Amino acid sequence: MTAPDATQPSAADEIAAATALSRRVTALFGRSLHIRTLDTGSCAACEQEIRLLAAPHYDLHRLGFFFTPAPRHADLLLVTGPMLRAFSLAARKTYVAMPEPKLVVATGACALGGVYQPDAFSYGSVDQVLPVDVWIPGCPPSPLALLHGLMVAVDRLAARVGSVSFTADGE
Amino acid sequence: MPQWFVTGLRRGVVTTRYPARREPAADDLPTPPAFRPEWLSQDRALRLAEVCPSSALAVADGELVFDVGKCTACGRCHQAVPEAVTASGEFELATGRRQDLVKRIPILPSSAS
Amino acid sequence: MSCLVAFGIAGALWLAAAIAAIAGSRSRAGLRPCAALSAAGGAAAVAGGIATLLTGDTRLISPGGTEVVGSLQLQGSSLAAIFAALLGIVAVAIGFYLPRYHQKLSAGTAVYLCAYNLALIASLAVLAAGGVVTFLVAWESMALLCYLLILRNPRSRPVAAGAFWFLALSEVGFVLIVAAFAIVAVKTQSLQFAVIAARIHRVPADWRDAAYLLALCGFGFKAGLVPLHVWLPAAHPVAPADGSAFLSGLIVKLGVYGIALFAFRLIPEGPAWRGILTMGIGAVTAAVGILYALAERDIKRFLAFSTVENIGIIVTAFGAAMTFLAYGQRALWAFLLLAGLYHALNHGCYKTLLFLEAGVTEHAAGTRDMDRLGGLARRMPRAGVIAFVGTLGIAALPPLNGFVSEWLIFQGLFQGFRTHSHLVGILIVLAAATLGLTGGLAIYAFVRSYGIPYLGMPRTRQAALATERAQPVVGPALLAVVCVALAVGAPVLLVAMARAIRTVTGIGLRPILLPGKLTVIPAHTDFSGFSPTYLTVFLLAVLVVPALIYRAGRVRGRSTTVPVWDGGIVAFKPRMQYSAMTFSAPTRVTFAAFYRPAVSVERASDDPAGRSGPVHYETAAAPVFERYLYQPVIRAVEWLADMVRPLQSGDVNLYLLYVFVAVLVAYLVAAV
Repeated sequence: MTAPDATQPSAADEIAAATALSRRVTALFGRSLHIRTLDTGSCAACEQEIRLLAAPHYDLHRLGFFFTPAPRHADLLLVTGPMLRAFSLAARKTYVAMPEPKLVVATGACALGGVYQPDAFSYGSVDQVLPVDVWIPGCPPSPLALLHGLMVAVDRLAARVGSVSFTADGE
Repeated sequence: MPQWFVTGLRRGVVTTRYPARREPAADDLPTPPAFRPEWLSQDRALRLAEVCPSSALAVADGELVFDVGKCTACGRCHQAVPEAVTASGEFELATGRRQDLVKRIPILPSSAS
Repeated sequence: MSCLVAFGIAGALWLAAAIAAIAGSRSRAGLRPCAALSAAGGAAAVAGGIATLLTGDTRLISPGGTEVVGSLQLQGSSLAAIFAALLGIVAVAIGFYLPRYHQKLSAGTAVYLCAYNLALIASLAVLAAGGVVTFLVAWESMALLCYLLILRNPRSRPVAAGAFWFLALSEVGFVLIVAAFAIVAVKTQSLQFAVIAARIHRVPADWRDAAYLLALCGFGFKAGLVPLHVWLPAAHPVAPADGSAFLSGLIVKLGVYGIALFAFRLIPEGPAWRGILTMGIGAVTAAVGILYALAERDIKRFLAFSTVENIGIIVTAFGAAMTFLAYGQRALWAFLLLAGLYHALNHGCYKTLLFLEAGVTEHAAGTRDMDRLGGLARRMPRAGVIAFVGTLGIAALPPLNGFVSEWLIFQGLFQGFRTHSHLVGILIVLAAATLGLTGGLAIYAFVRSYGIPYLGMPRTRQAALATERAQPVVGPALLAVVCVALAVGAPVLLVAMARAIRTVTGIGLRPILLPGKLTVIPAHTDFSGFSPTYLTVFLLAVLVVPALIYRAGRVRGRSTTVPVWDGGIVAFKPRMQYSAMTFSAPTRVTFAAFYRPAVSVERASDDPAGRSGPVHYETAAAPVFERYLYQPVIRAVEWLADMVRPLQSGDVNLYLLYVFVAVLVAYLVAAV
């Protein structure tokens, strides 16, 4: 192990730089985020709820989120479905086609590992193939849950499920 | 076009104010269960783990391991053991850490029932 | 006088080339002297043509005798000078192309090359002819030699059929040409073109118009006017590539030269309907040509129809010129003649180039079918670039020469209002609209003819293995350079041609061309103007300057190269691409009433459960002209021949009876 070099940035500096960059990125994303949806084999209930996001009742545009079909223009990949093996090449290609910085959000019980176990046809969960940043449970997640999840992804809201105990008297 | 305009004026703005304000319609959403530990015996916990179609419930180390991410809010656990399960009312479940979605609920020791 | 010397040198060199072809036919090395002599002859012809352009008409010379029928009468005329220069350029390019293309010597190569060089001499003689007899003899020998050219491999049925169509229609046209020349020669009591032109005003108008119509039809067979064009798609695919290039690049231009000879030199003055008829025929030819071209998969048949289209454009320009003269617009008359000749020169260059490249493709990939090619530009980069230059030219895209000449023709047509006749103005506008439709369809057709074979992925294994090693490249490359030069140097060339036009028409266009500013003006200064040179410079700047700015100013940072976003599919397959026929399907559907396609569909069974087998789908455009014009005429001729055949029974007694009856009738007639 070599002695730390005065000209090299220390570990603390690097962490600080990374955090500052991440904050700048999420600050940018918080103002305008382009979302590319990806269905890796779902039943399309999640897609129905995602579609409702653009409807007047939920209106994701007021929060600065937009849908785009082109991965090249996308900042965030919203993935549903249990990642069928037949689709994994296309999913990886879509992810690779997105320019940095990018986020991946897995949504729905299928994508998080429930409903389908890994077998000959599916991986069972999205994080077997893509690096996931935010998970949104639900079957399907309501548009409100999706909005909450997107806001968590861009750091405009804090995730709170970690502090919920899911016990009746603890609520 | 004029008909749409008149309807719009009568209805007013229908867009939800969420997340700035609380959304009252969220109270009707199906949500993952919350468990009552004082009613959770070993048999009941095993019964819950057996009945969940999504493998969200499992028994390990004297605890009921509940993976919120895998839950589909189907309600079979409530149907099987109604006294131990109730709706949690939580729909804001997103997180950046997968392990935050895995909850451990203590099971009663086998002597009590 | 010097130009005839140059032509004589060219003729002698070509004769030597023909002899070299026969002498050196055993070995491949024997092709080189022949090709070199052929190219040298071409250079001499170009020199002669340019000399005539600059110095004007020469005197008529009659080597070998006085003015009796049968003596040779040669004159370097300005009208022919442009075609002579084109002949030279084509000969030079094909001369460079010959050795590598004919590498695989076969039995017919020697005869073919000999016939080709002699055909060059005959073509030059047609252009240098100063008298009727010389012209006709040269014309007929040119036709026969071209027949030998096409018939290189007579064992195959399509070859024999194509050559036969060429010769048959050529002979029918020849009869009409002889009739036309006979009328003017007899009525003006002279065989020399210069004298005929001087005395033509004494001939009654009916005879003049009849002579012109006969000439239009006769030369129209050679030039390829609709419906006299059917030999073009039959003969071009079956000839070797350089033979097809010669046919399309030069021989059809000889038909155009013949029409120009009658319309502008021999019988310039005439009624307006003459010009309008010519213009109408030209416009219809252009539209029909390009529509049939879009239905073709064979590259050479496609190029043949494209030739028909361009001849239509040239003849439209000529017809409009004649119409303008009838209404007193002499400047526009001269200008449209200039534009038509310039377009003929340009078309000769890039059509030859495209046919030579089609030959390279055929040898490299083994097929002429567009649907079996693909990705050739990557396998054969030089051929790809050269073919691209030719395609840009023929699709009339700036800054190349096709754009300049079509612009000139359109600007001439747009000034139809100067005739001060509403009907004629509308007709000229209709012709311009038809040319506009043709131009749009031409771009569509040439995107298809370049994109399908040269771009994309190879559709067959042969195309994937195509290589341009040992393929001819100098000849086509030379033509590509000439095309660019003709475009960039258009003002200079047009000044030289204007001098020739002044000799023919007596109108000096030079002050109206503004060569000092490198701007071309269509006959009248109050209409429009355009500079091909500046346009080229501008387009280069538009391409180059942003690239430089980007390179200088871009942010230097880490960049990653990732694959092209393809929708996430596993892999591209060649069959996912457009095919030539699906690319042209919108046109074929829109113009279905014109194509009258015969469609046949066969499937294994019509039962829904059994519909998973292969389906055979076949469609073909109806051969309208062959079926409704030529077959009836052929059947009538055959019926007539059957009627007459009993006369030739072979019975000597019957023949003696004929002789007796003939003598008796002659006696009675003489006595009465």
